[in-house]
Amino acid sequence: MTTPIMTVSDLHKTYGKAGTKQYEALKGIDFSVQPGEFVGIMGASGSGKTTLLNMLATLDQPTSGEVTIHQQPITHLKGNQLADFRAKEIGFIFQDFNLLETMTAYENIALPLTLQKVPAKKIRPAVENVATQLGIQDFLTNYPNELSGGQKQRVAAARALINEPAMLFGDEPTGALDSKSARELLDLFTKINHDQNVSILLVTHDPFSASYCQRILFIKDGRIGQELRRGEMNRSDFYQQILDNLGTFEQ
Amino acid sequence: MLTKLALTGFKNRWRDYLVLFSGLIMSSAIFYMFEALATNHDFLKQNTGISMVGIIFQFGSVLLTIITLVYISYANSFLLSMRKRDYGLFMLVGARKSKIGQLIWLETLLVGVVATVIGIIFGTALTAGISRLLISSMDLTLHHLSAWYLPAAGITLLLYVGLFLLAGLFNLVTLTKTPALKLLHSNDQPNRPRLKPARQLLEIIVGLIAIAIGYWSMAHLDTLQLAGIGIALVTIVLGTYFLFNAIFVWLMVGLKRLPFAQRGLNSFTLSQLSFRIRNYTKMLSIVAMLFALALGAITVGMGFHAQTPKLAASSNAYDMGIVNATTAEKQQVTALKPTTNVTYHFKTDKKAVYYQATEFDQHPFTTINMQGKNQLNFKRKTNDAKQLSKSPASYQLSQLQASQSQNKANVFLSAKDYQKLAQPEHSLTVFATNDVTQHLPALKRLAKVQGQRDHGLVDNMLGGRYGNYVMINGMYSGLEFMGLFLGIAFLAMLASCLMFKILSGADADKHRYAMLDKIGTTHQQLRGAINKEIAVLFILPGIVGVIHVLFGLQMFKFLMVVSPYTGIWLPFVIFAGLYLLYYLLTVTIYRRIVLQ
Ligand SMILES: Nc1ncnc2c1ncn2[C@@H]1O[C@H](COP(=O)(O)OP(=O)(O)O)[C@@H](O)[C@H]1O
Ligand SMILES: [Mg+2]
Repeated sequence: MTTPIMTVSDLHKTYGKAGTKQYEALKGIDFSVQPGEFVGIMGASGSGKTTLLNMLATLDQPTSGEVTIHQQPITHLKGNQLADFRAKEIGFIFQDFNLLETMTAYENIALPLTLQKVPAKKIRPAVENVATQLGIQDFLTNYPNELSGGQKQRVAAARALINEPAMLFGDEPTGALDSKSARELLDLFTKINHDQNVSILLVTHDPFSASYCQRILFIKDGRIGQELRRGEMNRSDFYQQILDNLGTFEQ
Repeated sequence: MLTKLALTGFKNRWRDYLVLFSGLIMSSAIFYMFEALATNHDFLKQNTGISMVGIIFQFGSVLLTIITLVYISYANSFLLSMRKRDYGLFMLVGARKSKIGQLIWLETLLVGVVATVIGIIFGTALTAGISRLLISSMDLTLHHLSAWYLPAAGITLLLYVGLFLLAGLFNLVTLTKTPALKLLHSNDQPNRPRLKPARQLLEIIVGLIAIAIGYWSMAHLDTLQLAGIGIALVTIVLGTYFLFNAIFVWLMVGLKRLPFAQRGLNSFTLSQLSFRIRNYTKMLSIVAMLFALALGAITVGMGFHAQTPKLAASSNAYDMGIVNATTAEKQQVTALKPTTNVTYHFKTDKKAVYYQATEFDQHPFTTINMQGKNQLNFKRKTNDAKQLSKSPASYQLSQLQASQSQNKANVFLSAKDYQKLAQPEHSLTVFATNDVTQHLPALKRLAKVQGQRDHGLVDNMLGGRYGNYVMINGMYSGLEFMGLFLGIAFLAMLASCLMFKILSGADADKHRYAMLDKIGTTHQQLRGAINKEIAVLFILPGIVGVIHVLFGLQMFKFLMVVSPYTGIWLPFVIFAGLYLLYYLLTVTIYRRIVLQ
């Protein structure tokens, strides 16, 4: 087996300060992700999916436990190191797009490059390249409010991918999309995962989205309860298996 | 139940309400400060002697009312944007529209009345504090100034409550006419900055012409009289607005095309600014006007202050004359390190004062001789006895004499003739220091002791530079005070406008900065972006304001002896310092809100 791109060991998260009402959202999570893997995290609402993803993506700090990406421990990154890490190593896509509505699609996508002081000459080709891959090359001069949900999410994906991150995180990225746009976005993820070998970690409560993954971790009450691998199965069979599994897992 | 809901909304957004309240309190306090002078006719009449000042104040009132109107409309839309979501929610949970209408109306009015009342109290305190500070630090004499002035309070309350009644009505209609769902999702949408070259070119041309007319009429107040001020006000306000409207869009769109925009967060900053173009042009025009008014008022006030000692110096070459100075007084004079200090002896009868010519030949008397029309264009001339007896400026010696001798002729006698006179001999000590303003307390003490010996020597009989200084200072005190007081008031209004506008948008910016943080922006970069964005909003009206002032000072060349442009750097530097402080304060508060 190759060295994993990400390892998570004994991750705990307790909300609320000591002395106040506390809530333990994560109760010891362990798993790892291989380079180029497409992993899904499934669970009911309130099971701790967003909490987990925020720890993995450096948006929040765990109470205890460690996460490494590229063998680099990330839970205690601070200041410029943290900013640099976010800008270079990871990309996120959120349910609510998180685009800057004051900027055009082009400017949104280019932002991570301008932040890294990439020379102006290299920016346009890079943006056009990623936009073409995601099929949004015709909307680059539009503002987010002039785009459909699916288009917005593809702009967000382009922004996440432009720095060629090692890991792409998605927190219910299809949650606000209609089923056609959701399917298109998931197809794109599969393609990017396949063509560019980007590792993807997708959080979802939706079995259909999960069926695009190669491996699914089921989370319940802050612990990983179960794991499913797609293996050589085709997608609709895997989808069926997920549904069956949810039936037993969630009872 | 609804009232409770309304109160929770209030609690959750106390920071926004703080911005709203402090903005409104500042605005009403300043309006009151202005009116406390403008409606106090006794004060204006007694302290200026220039009838035009009263009318300038009336124009000022109109301008300030317009500014207040815009200000309140901003404040109200801020309030509305804060409450839209809450009221939308109330409607969704089934509150009756009439009930909600009532609540909105009540809330708007309550906010308005409370802020205005506090503002008037605050304004009274500010008026008292600032006037005391100015009077003592600038050595002014004022009459009939009272910090609490009922008519001013009445006008302030009337205007503000009236405007808030209107605002409440407006809110009631907007909120009850809009469907609940739309209220819930009414985040402001960006308006795409569009280049419409023809329209913007027209705006620039119209703006420039309007401003040119305004500048021209300010420089020709002697022929246009009052109409000039009216024309200037209207044309400059409109012209500034058009220019901002056109240039701002062009600037932002143009800058975005440069490689500069591709560095760091520059594209973000430019987008933020162009996103707000429409919102900001009105405010920036107002701020530019306020900037010009504040800076202009301070410059003129300081100009009058600076011209007082110059005028005093043009009247006599000596600070003071002391008749029969005692040893103690002579010591006091020596302590001032005078540049000249001479004692002449004289005898006097009913018609003339008799001096010894030899004393004047040994210690010539300096007179000030006018050259042409300008009072400050003079030459100093030293005179021996013969020259002085023929000089038309010999009255300058008489002015330094005791009160009953000031109208007598000066006669210069040979030692022999002088000896023959039976009258008792007296002495006149005349002296000059390097600068009257540096020795005011000591000179005042000397004058007081003399006044006790010579009861006729009241202030306006004191003829030297010191006496003239006191007299001219009394004449100009009113103007100086108004200039500085209004300057400070306009500056505070300006800051309050700009800070309010910027801070009221801070809440909407919060999620943008959070987003930038998530995609890996360093804190230095975020802070830099904030500094730059706010700096642009401060600098643009600053530049325009300075240009307005430089032209606006033309108005005062008819009122002032010294050119209004002399020593202009000092008020400009002081003003720049204060403006910088405001900028730093705004940046700090904004940063606190936006970066948690
Ligand atoms: N900031 C927070 N403070 C306190 N509790 C929180 C916070 N964020 C999430 N929680 C709690 O942690 C649990 C997991 O939340 P979350 O990770 O958002 O679930 P999911 O994304 O799976 O729906 C929930 O019970 C939620 O109430
Ligand atoms: Mg979630």
